Amino acid sequence: MQCRHTRRQWLTTAAGALTGTWLARAAPAPTAPVAVSRCRTYDPAELVPALQTMFDQLGGLGRLVKGKTVAIKINLTGAPTYRIGHLPLEDTHYTNQHVIAATVHLMGKAGARRIHLLESPWSTADPVEEYILQANWEPREILGAAQNVEFENTNYLGRGKKYSRMKVPFGGYIYPAFDLNHSYEDCDVFVSLAKMKEHATAGITLSMKNCFGLTPATIYGTGAGIDEPSVAPKGGRGMVHGGDRQPSKSAPAEKDPSTPRIDTYRVPRTVVDLISARPIHLAIVEGVKTMTGGEGPWVFGDLQPVAPGVIVAGLNPVTTDAVSMALMGFDPMADRGTPPFERCDSTLKLAEDAGVGTRDLKRIEVIGTPISQAVFDFAGMRKRRRSIPPPPVGIRG
Amino acid sequence: MRVEWTPMRWPAGWTDPATLSLLNGTAINYLLIDAKPEFEEVRSQARQQGLRVGDPAELPAGIRAIKGEWAGVRMQRGGDGASAGPTGVAWVDSNGWAVRLAAAMHPSDAIWVMAPPPDKSVNSGDSYLVTFCDSAAHGGRWVIALDEALAAGLAAGKAASLACWKRLCAAAGLFAAHQDWPDLAALSTLGVISDFAGEHEFFGGELLNLLARAGQHYRILIKDKMPLSALSGLRAAIYADAAPAAPALRDQLLAFVQAGGLLITHPKWGGPATLPAAAEDHPRFMLHTAGKGRIALAKDPDPDPYLWANDAAVLISHRYDLVRFWNGGATGSLYTVSPDRKRAVVHLLFYADRGPDAASIRVTGQYRTAQIWSAGEAAAQSVKMISQKDAVEVHLPQVSQYVALELEA
Repeated sequence: MQCRHTRRQWLTTAAGALTGTWLARAAPAPTAPVAVSRCRTYDPAELVPALQTMFDQLGGLGRLVKGKTVAIKINLTGAPTYRIGHLPLEDTHYTNQHVIAATVHLMGKAGARRIHLLESPWSTADPVEEYILQANWEPREILGAAQNVEFENTNYLGRGKKYSRMKVPFGGYIYPAFDLNHSYEDCDVFVSLAKMKEHATAGITLSMKNCFGLTPATIYGTGAGIDEPSVAPKGGRGMVHGGDRQPSKSAPAEKDPSTPRIDTYRVPRTVVDLISARPIHLAIVEGVKTMTGGEGPWVFGDLQPVAPGVIVAGLNPVTTDAVSMALMGFDPMADRGTPPFERCDSTLKLAEDAGVGTRDLKRIEVIGTPISQAVFDFAGMRKRRRSIPPPPVGIRG
Repeated sequence: MRVEWTPMRWPAGWTDPATLSLLNGTAINYLLIDAKPEFEEVRSQARQQGLRVGDPAELPAGIRAIKGEWAGVRMQRGGDGASAGPTGVAWVDSNGWAVRLAAAMHPSDAIWVMAPPPDKSVNSGDSYLVTFCDSAAHGGRWVIALDEALAAGLAAGKAASLACWKRLCAAAGLFAAHQDWPDLAALSTLGVISDFAGEHEFFGGELLNLLARAGQHYRILIKDKMPLSALSGLRAAIYADAAPAAPALRDQLLAFVQAGGLLITHPKWGGPATLPAAAEDHPRFMLHTAGKGRIALAKDPDPDPYLWANDAAVLISHRYDLVRFWNGGATGSLYTVSPDRKRAVVHLLFYADRGPDAASIRVTGQYRTAQIWSAGEAAAQSVKMISQKDAVEVHLPQVSQYVALELEA
């Protein structure tokens, strides 16, 4: 497979994605190439070569992970007992387990020393393995995809002795720093492995919004301790959404409690704070099968399963999300008031302003399948959905 | 368990024998009528109609009454939201555990659950259905008891009351038509061992209640009546009593562990004074390897049954869940099988105010056909079933709060 970039280019783009300093703000936000691949199924025979090609197009996985401890944040949003209709969770709103296994396999093959699969499962301190069993997954299929693979529940202290203080280099929009599970610090390479979805609060959820779940609910959740973190997580992250209270006093408080207490303001900003505090080295957005209308079955509205048949990967989360948005039929340059950000601020714009990366497609090299050949019209479906009355309130399947 | 009777507590306001006509065509066949003179004519005519009549204060031998709860998701005071447990899971009131415990302690008795409707103006037909099916699915019978508004509405022939009554009677009819269901054996992954008496009564009972809520399928094992085969087929056992196990039981449990079982208990359970160093880290248990199995000793000398129940589910592992639900909300289940295991009836309970519209159920085991029985449906309805490794997944249509899933191998 041909390598499109020199090591110097690789390091330059990766470093640019990480800095987000005042210097970066003064300069145009950095760019980085994004690989796009059609992938119609989760059959490993199609999936593994597709991912391998994409990683090669980005310069090769070995350069990034060989001899390193890799942490991969997957997206298992919402309880594992809720589906859209009878569909498996991985076909609609969870990162598909075959994509996780394929990524783990390729990272192991590329020489990763350890691979930690991280998620903060809904309202529990149970092991992630136990959580995904309830989704009807077999953890061994993922754990066996490479050597030294572990899951860790990052919704609480987990296996760490203490929380890791992760500072936001540019100072932060909402939070100046976060106290996170140790796994987010104890890694050499951080990967966001997300699902391609719309989001009720943030407009879209891609590689950056996936990192909203970095925050442990023991500190940032409904049942967080007041002075110290609670022992076990309880409930969601209403505190971060609505700003009705501060994190446990042991963690850094918000910069300015007089800012709007509105989720559509706070969530995009908090996401940018998080991905600045815990920079993403490799962003992967999985859109082989997914859903429209929101991020999970609990969203009110006409939710539909769809099969865009596409995967996106890049070395910068902003450029990767910008290309993903374009593949969804949205304009990544859109700002508040324009779909999919009708009610919220654009996480991409905020990240660009913070110097994390550019969302301007003119500045992003797209490798592999051209956007025009892989676009799936989430935007059109959104427009049609919003032009008709919402379905009656009832229990959703 | 004996289930030949479908009992009903006769409403205080139904002194007119004409109200007996409401029972025509229903499964209700045992009336508990106050021993007051104003009911004499009702009693007389009921007997003439072939109904059994009894005094609520004096139940005959062979019937064991237990005090129960109005089943369903418990609402907060004011009814504006579901009450929640410590992890935010909706709090469910169920009498299933109590029925099964009473049956385990008194296997030849019929178990009747006394749980009058809550003292509020209107209890929905759905809540009556849940309360009835919750007991019946576990082999007992809720003693039908109507709130004043429903009783008055029925006496007055009000359409809404009659609809509620029809729904309740349909549920009673379903179970009356399947009196063989309680003869099927409950499948379990876990045995719960206690004498369920004296100082152990609360902890043991609450543990059963909460294990069911945690989706665990258990076998009730009365401490002094355990046959040698009591632990066969189980993955785990909980020795719940604070008092040490007798030597014979201790040996039985140690043999179970040596053979690969998991014993969950407390340090004073009566086992060996020393065990190998704890092999795994757990916030509330010391996990010791013994033979092919493990012993999980609670760190807290005063354990919380809620934590034990939820920890047991993880210590055993959800890998071995017999039944998994999706889109079920607050659920309960009892998985029963015929002796040759070629036929299974899985009782599925949905405790919310209405049944789910697209629930999926995974049942461990291999089966060829699946059909559901619902209250009010004369015939079984076939449902979509997908075979998986070691299990089947069934997709339910819109259903009420109770479904009997019948599977055949």
